[in-house]
Amino acid sequence: MSGTCDGGWYPLMLSADLELGTVAGSTVLGRDLAVWRDGEGQAHVWDDRCPHRGMRLSLGFVREGALACLYHGWRFGVDGRCVHIPAHPDLSPPGTIRAAPLPVAECHGLVWASVEEDGSLPEGDPAMDAAAWVPVRSLRIEAPWQDVARAVGMPDGHRAAALDRDVEGRVLAALLPVREGACMLHLLAAASAGVERLHDLADWGQDVRARAEERAGQVFLAGVVA
Amino acid sequence: MSELVLHDDELDEDCYRVRLFLSLLGLEARRVAVDVVPGGAQDSPGFRAVSPAGLLPVLRIDGQMVCGAGGALLALAHGRPAWLPEVRADFARVAHWLQFAAGPLRATLLMRRACLFGGAGDGQSARRRAAVGALRIMEDHLVHRRLEGGAWFVGDGPTVADIALFPAAALCRDWGEEYSAYPALRRWVRAVRGLPGFVTMPGIPDYG
Repeated sequence: MSGTCDGGWYPLMLSADLELGTVAGSTVLGRDLAVWRDGEGQAHVWDDRCPHRGMRLSLGFVREGALACLYHGWRFGVDGRCVHIPAHPDLSPPGTIRAAPLPVAECHGLVWASVEEDGSLPEGDPAMDAAAWVPVRSLRIEAPWQDVARAVGMPDGHRAAALDRDVEGRVLAALLPVREGACMLHLLAAASAGVERLHDLADWGQDVRARAEERAGQVFLAGVVA
Repeated sequence: MSELVLHDDELDEDCYRVRLFLSLLGLEARRVAVDVVPGGAQDSPGFRAVSPAGLLPVLRIDGQMVCGAGGALLALAHGRPAWLPEVRADFARVAHWLQFAAGPLRATLLMRRACLFGGAGDGQSARRRAAVGALRIMEDHLVHRRLEGGAWFVGDGPTVADIALFPAAALCRDWGEEYSAYPALRRWVRAVRGLPGFVTMPGIPDYG
């Protein structure tokens, strides 16, 4: 998997956060996506819009290997085709009724999607391929992804990289641009990191978030408000 | 135990906290509906006679009136060590989160009420920032819990702390916060939904 900006591959979420038979939402550059995992463990990424009435599919549920819309229960199989309409159980839905699947890859502990129509296939990155990665966490950061990339020491033009942060082992950092001024930062540790190391990395993520948001003039301080 | 009575508003997340806990405990309460929106009945003399400060919900348990979700949850959890640990360190952790739910986390409830009933916009108000900050405190805690193998706020199973905190996370979409920004909260919401006896309220879908 290339961490560069070529090919249009984006790291949506940690694989560990997409449980079997569940659906989650994700947003890439303002484009809303439904990310779901079928009963066989295969991940799928579609536009977050039911072809029937436009309801967000990420609010739906996974049943019998298909993603069902919460609104009217229409079910869509792994190829995006509608396979079942509860109000017309005897109808075989025409092939033109279909959701819009995107190319998906799952590697280095992350679910990736290509949001560009002719996105080239991901290429190998030796540093990222050289280790097995243990998920630490993902954080939403209300700051431009490029600023966060600079702050964590990401090589120029990369959205993901294996970083030599310190002597205790490598960190895989991956950035998802959510919209202008907001991103998700995914963090993984090279196996076999001890649990203390994982806690330290989770805390480091919070520091990165706090400093990036301070630079962006965004402060989210809990307290007692009226 | 004499009959349980709950003075209740279906759309109010504080009332839902108690309805959810009652259901998880397998208890039935006679429900008395209080018309908060649009009736404003929480300020009527009749309701103020029951709840002098106008707090909802009100639980009558063993002949006593308990006003407010935090008090009602504690009264129901009393004598149930699985939900309210007896070991002081764990009890202290639960107390910490109950206080958090009644304090900083109120910002999420105020945001939701303003967005649903008060016409608040999507601007970055101080209240919205405080509400996001409160959700992040929960998210960060669950991240660390998961790294040490835990799935709940305190200990190895759900406690009354999880019930007090749950609606704020489950209902955050009502005021424009997406689950996708809180992956650890999302997984925990799923775990709570999977508890035997779980019930929803408007805004929390039946599936997931």
